Amino acid sequence: MASTQKANCWDVMACDYGPACSEPCPAVLDVTSTGVNGGVNAGRICWTVPGTLCFGEPQGDFVDKQETCLACRFFLQVRDEEGQDFRFVKLAQGIRDAEILHARITQVESLMGIRDRLRARFNLDAVIAETVRQARILTQAQRSLVLLLRGSPPRLHGEFTLRGRAVRVDIPFDESSAVGYAAVNDQTVNVKNPYQAPVQQDDVPFNQAFDEACHCRTDSLLAVPVHDSEGRVLGVITAANSEKGAFSQDDQWFMRRYAVEVGLAIEKARLLQEATAAGRMASISESLAGLSHFLKDVAHALTGTSFIIRRAIERGRMDDVRTAWEILDRHVKRLVDLCKDVLTYDPERPDEICPGNLNDTVADAVSLLQAEARTRAIELTTDLGPGLNRWPHSKRGIYRCVVNLVVNSFDACLPGGGHIAVATQCRGGQAVIQVSDDGQGMDAESREQVLEAFKTGNKARGSGLGLPTVVDIVERHGGRVEVDSEPESGSTFTVFLPGVG
Amino acid sequence: MGEAKKKVLVVDDDQDDLKMISMILEPEGYEVVTAENGIEALKKVESEDPDLILLDVMMPELNGFAACDKLKSSPESQGIPIVLLTGVAKQITKTKYPIDGVLRAQAEEYLEKPVDPEELLRVVAGFLS
Repeated sequence: MASTQKANCWDVMACDYGPACSEPCPAVLDVTSTGVNGGVNAGRICWTVPGTLCFGEPQGDFVDKQETCLACRFFLQVRDEEGQDFRFVKLAQGIRDAEILHARITQVESLMGIRDRLRARFNLDAVIAETVRQARILTQAQRSLVLLLRGSPPRLHGEFTLRGRAVRVDIPFDESSAVGYAAVNDQTVNVKNPYQAPVQQDDVPFNQAFDEACHCRTDSLLAVPVHDSEGRVLGVITAANSEKGAFSQDDQWFMRRYAVEVGLAIEKARLLQEATAAGRMASISESLAGLSHFLKDVAHALTGTSFIIRRAIERGRMDDVRTAWEILDRHVKRLVDLCKDVLTYDPERPDEICPGNLNDTVADAVSLLQAEARTRAIELTTDLGPGLNRWPHSKRGIYRCVVNLVVNSFDACLPGGGHIAVATQCRGGQAVIQVSDDGQGMDAESREQVLEAFKTGNKARGSGLGLPTVVDIVERHGGRVEVDSEPESGSTFTVFLPGVG
Repeated sequence: MGEAKKKVLVVDDDQDDLKMISMILEPEGYEVVTAENGIEALKKVESEDPDLILLDVMMPELNGFAACDKLKSSPESQGIPIVLLTGVAKQITKTKYPIDGVLRAQAEEYLEKPVDPEELLRVVAGFLS
């Protein structure tokens, strides 16, 4: 076959791990890729194969090695040689063998960074940022941008970075731009010159709105609608100014897959928001239970001491007045402190992340739950480490995290009581908050479920545990949550919060 | 008041509460002994032989319910009347200690926090007069 005469990577790169080697490179062995770009096995599409032995070292998957691959002289050579027919990725179209199909889809997803980079993320903004970054690289576009429909009447909103500065884009949801056109007509637009196609309105050059909003000129444009699972248009994902001059069929395919990911991420964010609201209600009701207990305690002391004082005055027992007064004083101070706390944790106040004493926040949350811990015969202790006096955090957010984690541990403790330890420390430039219990622990299955709640905001479990709330808050701090648990040896939840910079 | 002072055992893990209840009772002529948890309470019952026990429900170690159970199941102490002090009347209705019925068979009376001192004195006097 003529195609097999084309140079493969091991020929061009003078590789020691070619077909002659007894333990050759995975690209040599990948029979599913033969013929793609005219190569033998993956010889001319080696960038899609994970673990190739370039430079004598095993490489990662495409996401890991993309910087190297896209600059590799062999990659550029194949692209030039194949021209219009260049295949960046082996698509799954036309493949009937289920195993090969599965292998290809996995490869493509890893190529696109979908599995690891996108799905593990919780926060919508982070997913969008990662998607456009990856889309820009794969389609070799100058910029990529996700615009979502918002407001009434709806407009398309998005944000991208231009020369290091964030540019907000806000364009009408109509056919005055190629992007608007794609959204209104629920149709992929792939145009070489967006000023000419596909419609012109009055004297306004098509796409002017988009370019004005972006502060730059678009020469080629690929715009793909983003849908929710019901098929409603949520927005558009775009790539502008292809380095190749125009966007290819492969590019279009990539962008459609990314559009699906963005749609999923939006739905996930929506679920998370609902779960967070439910979690918030759960934590409010826990707080109210704690509050009511606290108030009863204080009222009990005030009623008792006021009786003692009144009677002591009647009977002239001034020593009793003094002793009772001291008790009364302590409880009045508790009430005053509570009022201050309630002000600090007003749910209407914006959730600001600013430097403050992290230990105070943790201690406040723990002290609210002490009464509840006592009723459950649980010993709730704290061990607060140094160096956290001015740690950037949302007081309300972290307070809620700790309340949620401790309440979660309450449920894990055995009926006869137990011990919950809340510890903080500054370790490796991060603040670490650890909530450990000596309760029943989790088997592999429950641990999976909890991890699932972390990753996906699983609604059914999430609202009860309040764990998605914790993850959501911690991720907003740029931190992460880990769980460690074995059956019958308790569980430890660890929150990591980054410091300044 | 009789010639010998009646002895009340007050059991509470909160120092302020212990002090306060003592100060309500002592000027009315009662002798007060205290314990800070259920286990200590069981010991004090043996050594002090009180006429009445005021038992807080929420305590670490042995809580009020469990202490009450133990006292009522021991022949030496089952005759001593027990008054439970609790902030969780709702919890009593949900557990095996409903307000009516079983609870009366266990503790003689219960008072919900915040406790009205006048009522406390009335209840105590009711058992000890």
